[in-house]
Amino acid sequence: MNVVRIAGAQGFYGDSPMAALSIVAQKGADYLVHDALAELTLSILQKDRLTDPNLGYARDIETLAKFLIPMAHQHGIRIVTNSGGLNPESAAQKVAAILQQQGITGYKIAIITGDDLLERLPELQKNGHELRHLDTDLPFSVNKFPISHANVYTGAKSIADALDQGANLILAGRVADPCLTLGILVHHFKWKLNSDLNQADLDRLASGIAIGHLLECGGQASGGNSYAEWPMDYPISNLGYPIAHVSEDGSAVFTKLESEGGKMSRNTLREQLVYEIHNPAHYITPDVIVDLTQIQLTELEPNHVRLSGAVGKPRPEALKLAIGLNEGFISEQLFYFSWPFAYQKCLRFIEAVKEIWLRLPLKIDRKEFSILGINGITGSEAPMPPSEVLDQMNELGVRIAIKHTEPHVGKVAIQAVTCLGLNGPPGVVSMPAWGKTNRLQLSLWPTLIPRSEVMEQVKIIDL
Amino acid sequence: MSKTIKLIDIAAARSGDKNDVCNIGVLARTPEDYQLLKQHLSAELVKAHFGSLIQGEVVRYEWDSIEALNFVCNGALDGGASRSMRMDTLGKNFSSHLLRMELTIED
Repeated sequence: MNVVRIAGAQGFYGDSPMAALSIVAQKGADYLVHDALAELTLSILQKDRLTDPNLGYARDIETLAKFLIPMAHQHGIRIVTNSGGLNPESAAQKVAAILQQQGITGYKIAIITGDDLLERLPELQKNGHELRHLDTDLPFSVNKFPISHANVYTGAKSIADALDQGANLILAGRVADPCLTLGILVHHFKWKLNSDLNQADLDRLASGIAIGHLLECGGQASGGNSYAEWPMDYPISNLGYPIAHVSEDGSAVFTKLESEGGKMSRNTLREQLVYEIHNPAHYITPDVIVDLTQIQLTELEPNHVRLSGAVGKPRPEALKLAIGLNEGFISEQLFYFSWPFAYQKCLRFIEAVKEIWLRLPLKIDRKEFSILGINGITGSEAPMPPSEVLDQMNELGVRIAIKHTEPHVGKVAIQAVTCLGLNGPPGVVSMPAWGKTNRLQLSLWPTLIPRSEVMEQVKIIDL
Repeated sequence: MSKTIKLIDIAAARSGDKNDVCNIGVLARTPEDYQLLKQHLSAELVKAHFGSLIQGEVVRYEWDSIEALNFVCNGALDGGASRSMRMDTLGKNFSSHLLRMELTIED
């Protein structure tokens, strides 16, 4: 039976490479998918690119080039990733240099570009594209903020093309997360992708997307971040990442390495299936619209779960374009107080901070205060503990946060309240390193763009 | 007679972000629990439970094949993770907060 094994080897920019290393060492997969781009990662990469035009990619690919790629190459395992971010070309140059240092030859790196529309935004608008906001329907011409990046979510075709050309490593940009996996399946099984599709073709593509969706967050599909499996009665420090054994008809058996921690169960998979999904009967991707509501997850044996039943509908006409906007800055700091009177001290401290800021000639656009231990995470909706509990708390913290447009305001505003260390409630504990000034505040402008405006390119570097 | 059921006893949940939208997938622990959830855990109740944290509409989707309800909460993340001034910018704990809910059920 023709089965291809794909591992979800990375769930975000900064994820540990240890799970991927184990999979490669044990030859547990034929392909690794490394997803490095969450919705806001491109904003982070744009900051890097502004400081150095040779940056703008997810830099953990450098670590992979040193420690993972050589062994993967030796074992014939191919790697597909969107780590190229805003600058796949530079990522490829860097990876090539690292691999050459190690004497690796006979290796093909594919670069996929065409998703970055930043330079073309004025031209697109001139050509009559209003780039209306998906939620508010406002035209992009009303935007007042500086633009940080503009990338369109692309599909599986370039991934499949690059693999067809023999690529061992694919460095793409803003390919939609599940399409990294779909591209592998289209290549491996020669599935039809773009035209002349019957229902069986569409269902296979839909299944590929469902599998990709379950792989794209790494350990979150194999027992990480789990309420369904709480108290998580398995090792988590060496969590094994999900591996899908996919058959030609699009069905798959999900598993993980026996030697590693974590768990693969119907629970862990359905918990990941719902993650970041809106209408489950209409999950839109560049290559196919997926009805996930018929999906069956069946436990075959411990740590082996079968997936089937995804239903496909023809792909959307337009692609999603996400434009990043620089709105200003956020600055924040933390302070802690201990028993006795911890809660009263926090209230008194916050009151003093508010008064100090009112006296400063600074333009602070917004102020937020929370008491850590009470309402730091849930804010206004946190239920208050009874007063006798509140009065006896061992310790509580205060978080102060401001939004500002001018960069100097953050440092001045935070500095201005440090005098409360001596002048404020007794026993404050704080460290400058706990806070951060001038974190860029970015917003996203989601819109649609016709496919005809997007030209992807595949380029191969031979080592 | 009515009785009170804690959501944490009959369900698990996972939440995540897409710009200013937070979705909360609620997974019933048993098929019977799923029927309870379907009958009683409405979009209106969820919106009310989150108060000012959710500024927009809450839409509920039923997902029978995995015994789950999916709540799509609009205007829920202070404008989206990369502009939010909250600590939980990604809304990962919308799941936790939902699991605090209690359902009142007529026998």
